Amino acid sequence: MEILKEVGVYVEDLNRSGTMVIRDESPIYISNKTSGMELMPIREALDKYKWLRDTYYWKAVSIESDKITKEYMGLDPQGFFLRVHKGAKVKLPCQVALYIGEEKKSQYLHNVVIVEEDAELELITGCLTDPIVKSASHVSVDEQYIGKNAKLIQTMVHSWGEEVQVQPRSGTIVEDKGVYEHRFVVLRSPKKSVSKPNTYLNGQGASAKLTSVVLGSQESEIEVGGDVYLNGQKSSAELIHRGVSNGGQIYQSGLLIGKNTCRAHVDCAGILLKENIGMIESIPGLHAYHPEAMMSHEASIGRVSPEQIEYLQSKGMREHEALTLLVRGFIGSETNGLGKALDDQITSMITLAGHGEAEERVCTA
Amino acid sequence: MTKINRLEIKKLCVEVEGKKLLEDVNLIIPKGEVHALMGMNGSGKSTLMMTIMGFPKYKISSGKILLNGVDVTDMPIDERARLGIGIAQQRPPILPGVTLATILSYLDDGQPTKALEKQITYMKMDKYTERDLYKGFSGGEIKRAEILQLFAQSPCFAMLDEPDSGVDLESLQLMSVLMGQLFEKDEACDEACSGLIVTHYGDVLENVHVNKAHVMMNGKICCSGNPETIVDVIKSRGYEACILCMEKGQ
Repeated sequence: MEILKEVGVYVEDLNRSGTMVIRDESPIYISNKTSGMELMPIREALDKYKWLRDTYYWKAVSIESDKITKEYMGLDPQGFFLRVHKGAKVKLPCQVALYIGEEKKSQYLHNVVIVEEDAELELITGCLTDPIVKSASHVSVDEQYIGKNAKLIQTMVHSWGEEVQVQPRSGTIVEDKGVYEHRFVVLRSPKKSVSKPNTYLNGQGASAKLTSVVLGSQESEIEVGGDVYLNGQKSSAELIHRGVSNGGQIYQSGLLIGKNTCRAHVDCAGILLKENIGMIESIPGLHAYHPEAMMSHEASIGRVSPEQIEYLQSKGMREHEALTLLVRGFIGSETNGLGKALDDQITSMITLAGHGEAEERVCTA
Repeated sequence: MTKINRLEIKKLCVEVEGKKLLEDVNLIIPKGEVHALMGMNGSGKSTLMMTIMGFPKYKISSGKILLNGVDVTDMPIDERARLGIGIAQQRPPILPGVTLATILSYLDDGQPTKALEKQITYMKMDKYTERDLYKGFSGGEIKRAEILQLFAQSPCFAMLDEPDSGVDLESLQLMSVLMGQLFEKDEACDEACSGLIVTHYGDVLENVHVNKAHVMMNGKICCSGNPETIVDVIKSRGYEACILCMEKGQ
């Protein structure tokens, strides 16, 4: 269970409202003592609640979406069901680990999160492979339902073996004045990952803030995007992508679809640490179907300037320390709680990119 | 008793992108002494400081730089900083996502001391510590942030590049006091800080005892002497007097 800490899951931590660990496709640990919150395997929930299949299951993601979702036909794979009852404001974060412990394993999961009217939840989802696993496949359908005046803050951290294929399909529906914040962090990149969640801001005043941080190592191909449908009157969205490549290919996209009076912004930015290896593509997009849809986008790709590095070096920092600080600054403060894991991974990438050896800091000034 | 030379520059020639900017510069600053460096724009003052600090753009074609007897001529910039050379730059770069608090914390070994916290408040910089460094900072705020970092670094040789240019009176006064504290240690003390300050008018030196002033022209130090005399001459007669003096000397 120690390994789960890398992705922010601390089993038996008293500062968590609930914990579930799924190894391969089997739930191996569940703990929940929080009133107003239910956490259980999805199959158990489907047996327990008839309304789940009728009202929620496959409603935020269509089974007909693509080849991946069609593979789910006739299957009811395992996964987790998390429900926060109407009016319940869960104070401590809930955590779920989706873990692959077997080489060549194909993990199929279907997860449903429901935060009912006036309820609040913070969820940490850690997806990872065991260090011995190099090649595997993670496919998941993730559905989130946020009721009226409800709030879901979700941090999803990925850390994969170098030959792993990752294909999540995600859909989120937000009702009136509902708030959805989603932070997606790829710490150790897989061989290939395609993550394009759809978010439907259906309610009046519904809002979403979706952030992705990708550290793309050599020979990885990471695609992050997401379509946000601003259907509700006065709905709003902010979509932020940050990518750092030391040889990997990172594709950032993000489409805002304004169908009502709304405000939204999409911002893609990337840094390449190596010359002539790796690639970042940033394509933010806007579709407006309403005259009062106020939407904007920006995209930038570059490198850390030598002047910035040298400035920090003039304060005594080694090159890799200066670069780590600048890359951490570029990524922004959207990754609270991941401080050390994130910094360690950035430092590792920077060292691999040939910007100095990571060593103990000795200040003789 | 002979003083140890904290900084010694011998016949230093410097180029930037193939253009000669410094020629045969010689300078000695003993331990505990603070020198002022004056001169017209483009005379080579900032070049000298950036070269002493070790910024790679400034190529040393010949000559040597010694700190406390150690040859630092080919030493990388970060090693020079860790050895005790510090600089408050005139135009530092904007650092998105990096805060003044982060750098101060690094310089103060991860745990800002009470003395530093007091200085942050005194310099009226509390509300700037969590902002992206230099993004939207005024001239005075940049200078105050730079000198705070120098204070946190506690260098044995500190350089300040035009701390008095482009700043308001309040910033000038605040910096003058902090500079006084930076250099206040007794000259006999091992930790006594030596320094070099580039200044146009000398106003910022109110709280600092300056031992000597130098005038740079065309990449050379053309005059060294009593700081009060040199400041008075430049204030009353401008650098024309220095040019005339040089011509007489020739």
